[in-house]
Amino acid sequence: MKRFASTGIAVVLALAFATTAHAEDKKKLAFVVNGASDFWKAAEAGVKAAAAELPKYDLVLKYPEQSAAAIQIRLMDDLVAAGYAGIMVSAVDPKTESDALNRIGKQVALFTTDSDAPKTSRIAYIGSSNTDAGKQAGQLVLKALPNGGKCMGFVGLLGADNAKERIDGVKETIKGSKVELVDVRGDDIDQTRAKRNVEDTLTAHPEIDCMIGFYSYNTPRIYEALKEAGKLNKIKVIGFDEDPITLGGVKEGSIIGTVVQQPYEWGYQGMKDMAKYLEGDKSWVPGNGLLIVPTKIIDTTNVDAFWAELKKRQGKS
Amino acid sequence: MQRVTEPAAPFLELNGISKTYPGVAALDGVSLSVSRGEIVGLIGENGAGKSTLMKVLGGVVEPTAGTIRVDGRDYPALTVNDAINSGIAFVHQELNLFDNLDAAANILIGREPLYGGPLRLIDRKALHAKVQPLLDKLGVDFKPDTPVAALSLAQRQLLEIAKALSLDARLVIMDEPTSSLTLTETARLLSVLNELRRDGVSIIFISHRLNEVKSCVDRVVVLRDGRVVGSLVGETIRPDAMIRLMIGRDLKSLYIPPKVPPGAPALEIEDFRTTAFPDQEVSLTLRRGEILGLAGLVGAGRTELACAAFGVDRRLAGTLRIEGEAVTIREPRDAIARGLYLVPEDRKRCGLHLDFSLTQNISLPDLMTYAVGPLISPAAEEKIAETQRHRLNIRAYDIATEAGTLSGGNQQKIVLAKWLAMKPRVIIFDEPTRGIDVGAKSEIYQLMRNLADNGVAVLMISSDMEEVIGVSDRMAVMQEGRISGFLERDRFSEHNVLQLAVGKTVN
Amino acid sequence: MLKKDLGLFLLILVVGAVVAFLNPRFLSPLNLANTANLIGLFGLFSLGEGFVIITGGIDLSVGSIFALLGVIFINLLVDYSLPWPVAVLIIVAGGVVLGAIHGFLVTKVKMQPFVVTLCGLLIYRGVARWYTDDGTAGFEFGQKFPALETLTTGRTFASDTFAGIPNSFIAFVVVALIMGVVLHRSVFGRYLFAVGKNEEAARYSGIRSNAIIAAAYVISGGLAGISAIYLAMYTRSISPASHGNFYELYAIAAAVLGGCSLRGGEGSVMGIVLGAILLQVLQNLVNLLGIPSSLNFAVMGGVILIGVIADMQLVRYRAYKANEKKRAGIVPLPAAAPGKN
Repeated sequence: MKRFASTGIAVVLALAFATTAHAEDKKKLAFVVNGASDFWKAAEAGVKAAAAELPKYDLVLKYPEQSAAAIQIRLMDDLVAAGYAGIMVSAVDPKTESDALNRIGKQVALFTTDSDAPKTSRIAYIGSSNTDAGKQAGQLVLKALPNGGKCMGFVGLLGADNAKERIDGVKETIKGSKVELVDVRGDDIDQTRAKRNVEDTLTAHPEIDCMIGFYSYNTPRIYEALKEAGKLNKIKVIGFDEDPITLGGVKEGSIIGTVVQQPYEWGYQGMKDMAKYLEGDKSWVPGNGLLIVPTKIIDTTNVDAFWAELKKRQGKS
Repeated sequence: MQRVTEPAAPFLELNGISKTYPGVAALDGVSLSVSRGEIVGLIGENGAGKSTLMKVLGGVVEPTAGTIRVDGRDYPALTVNDAINSGIAFVHQELNLFDNLDAAANILIGREPLYGGPLRLIDRKALHAKVQPLLDKLGVDFKPDTPVAALSLAQRQLLEIAKALSLDARLVIMDEPTSSLTLTETARLLSVLNELRRDGVSIIFISHRLNEVKSCVDRVVVLRDGRVVGSLVGETIRPDAMIRLMIGRDLKSLYIPPKVPPGAPALEIEDFRTTAFPDQEVSLTLRRGEILGLAGLVGAGRTELACAAFGVDRRLAGTLRIEGEAVTIREPRDAIARGLYLVPEDRKRCGLHLDFSLTQNISLPDLMTYAVGPLISPAAEEKIAETQRHRLNIRAYDIATEAGTLSGGNQQKIVLAKWLAMKPRVIIFDEPTRGIDVGAKSEIYQLMRNLADNGVAVLMISSDMEEVIGVSDRMAVMQEGRISGFLERDRFSEHNVLQLAVGKTVN
Repeated sequence: MLKKDLGLFLLILVVGAVVAFLNPRFLSPLNLANTANLIGLFGLFSLGEGFVIITGGIDLSVGSIFALLGVIFINLLVDYSLPWPVAVLIIVAGGVVLGAIHGFLVTKVKMQPFVVTLCGLLIYRGVARWYTDDGTAGFEFGQKFPALETLTTGRTFASDTFAGIPNSFIAFVVVALIMGVVLHRSVFGRYLFAVGKNEEAARYSGIRSNAIIAAAYVISGGLAGISAIYLAMYTRSISPASHGNFYELYAIAAAVLGGCSLRGGEGSVMGIVLGAILLQVLQNLVNLLGIPSSLNFAVMGGVILIGVIADMQLVRYRAYKANEKKRAGIVPLPAAAPGKN
């Protein structure tokens, strides 16, 4: 009986040791996105590239099953419980999640990406500046309409921070020029409504000279609605992000240009920086906690090269 | 077992209670008294006035004449609250219990003890504590927190009684309390009655089971045609004496003699076993051109037999032959295809679409006939509806009238019209004239006879003695799921029917 | 049939007149054509939903069916390069099969329609997302299917001066006419009402109610399959997580606005058509009048509420009038004798 007991204890100890040793062996880092979309495929490629260079770490990219704050928080809590050492997150709704982010930030090294949550215990934000991206789009608008004109914007969620920042960026840039942003129509991420909003705009505002698609799917819907109405090239289109239809339109010349973020870099650079931080190197963290990965303007001059690289990264070559 | 009573002041005294409906006297000068601690049996045929009398006592029906004295107080008419406040409680045939609640909650429903405070939360402890003594008193074998769904029928009856006692009942009226109980359960219930009697509670016990009545009551009062026709005490309470009192009214002659003698068998039911009475086998043969009455007390298994034959209910065993040919009937559709039709008892639920028009109702079972390909031909279905409306004298503004707006008699005629528009071989009528005015009744009897004369076999289930004796050519009587006997027309009498209905033989 | 739908028709006219007054472009051919296109898209599956509601059931799964069949459709065309008629057949058959499964579970397994189709809503959405690995399924830039596009997003009689009639709307009208005949003129339609109104009495009349109910789900599934194709061709890209979200509610709203009772047994194709029209006019109105997009649903809900309340009042008024007529005209029949014991 005694012997059994001591053997049992020995086994338990051995197991405990083995697991802790294993856990110490490989630290686990997670990149948590805000919902399912092609956009994150590039980030996933970046995370994979980083994983190749970080043999001592386990890197994963996690999708919450729904684009909802509560579900994302539960996902992160599960990751913390599973022993993850660092999390990089694109918060669905930074404001409502701030308490949860503070709590998680106390347990693991927490970074934000895509949408920042500055008033939390996150260590740093690694991602684009949506305001800067908006400004770049504003420059495209000014270039397209040297003599001024009226613009209509289209977006998924009018109240979302990334939407607001992009819109503000555009407004800031065109302020004082003859270009005016008349209105921005929301569609609650319903693509049928997104297209219908464009069609209705053509009816309600025939004087519009340019259209801006603030979310990745808005620009393709603008492109298609204009194409069907025979208004392509008559109305200037400026977009965000890198939907294949958007890039095709840029290549064709019917879309002036699109401002793209670099999710690949967020995934690649972000994970590497996180590893550095966990190893004790905190020198790279900027004073204001913002590590901006600049957004890029894609127009006819660089669209081919960008598209080729994108396809490679998304594994679609 | 007779009790020596000292009727100082009876608890209940009814004096000359009458209740007339236009054209009908449901109660005609009924006087009845019940002493404290007395068990009075109340018997009578279907339609004798028992239910109306009970409704008067429950405060649901206001008598047109007479006085009611309860516990020394006089009332011209009771209200529902008067009845409850003076301690009159009912244990109904159809139990009024909430299956999804436990025993205690059912007993004190609406009167639950509450914690103080605005939330009005139920104090479950107090609820159970209040109920336990009642259950102890009845000696039941379930607990206050037993869910009603887990109780047997007998236990539910006892629960109803406990509910009555919780209302401080001084007079408990039981309507057929033993109709669905086993023998031992019945014995248990009857012993509870004796205990109640010892506590001075009065009981009115309504039952068709004359042997039970004999074994437990102090006195029997017999109703017939809304009148008290006699009462029996002590040794004189015997089934034959009771039956003699129950019958004997003048039956109007409703019989329309057939023009042709009955022909070959049209419907043969062999060794049928229904889910309601799985241990009883039923066989009967119905011939072309005859009207076979199916008599019996309510709950004898007649409707169940009809539903099993028509394919509404599953049958456990048995074969069915229509005009000599064995047929498989899995659903009503199969029966209809063979010319076997049912005019159901519950016409509003099963017989009709109340917000369909006459046309839509009449054409429904045979819609394909009025269709060209897959499309209905309005002209064809309206034509048949118009024909049937005239043939059956359906009093409606036009054939577009919704069935639900018509009187019971006219609704029943629409149900008939559905089947008469097709090719009937056998029609089963289940309580064909329930809730129908006198004029429409005789029209329906004439229709049945016409059908029979045209070679259709008619099976008529009826609980109305006058009807079943007056209309049938031959009669089968059912009792507790079996056929207790057949009667030829020359042996039709209320006495014989009742004898068979309560399970006795006739010589 | 028409009388009952008159209230809704009037409501559409009133709303239309107000919008046209505030923004005359509402009546421009282009806008009418655009709106007609969306009426077609949303009307097609609303008809199927209406059939299910008439049986006393409900179909909550259509939105998710659009996502699932939509991604499969694009996948078949883009990655498997199937000829489009084959792909269309597969998708419509897929819708029919899903509807048949719903019908089986409702009638044979005796599950509640709400539960069956709620599970469908969750399952199909999940499978759609898994199928594309949460990515977006879309056509390549410049990919063309001329015949298919003509049938789905094309316009008939289009010219420089006339916007043309959207073919989706023509398809909707054709389907609505067929469904109208089926529901109001055919044996099956009468059975549908009979079963929805009183299943018991229908059974006693020899109707196989299970088959009728299951058929309604099959029709709904089949129309959802056709709609999935039209919607996919309209957006040309499907993100399975959001595509068709809540579209079942548009269908239910159109059916209920059009007089279908959720208790079953009531409804008309004309009503559903008008319901679908009103819903799309409301969407159009939000954009044309520059009402903030966020108020979109609030406007829709508000107008539906007012519409249903007005309709109930109208029904009551008619019943009152009919009663008066009866009292004046027809001699009452003698009261029934009292019931027996």
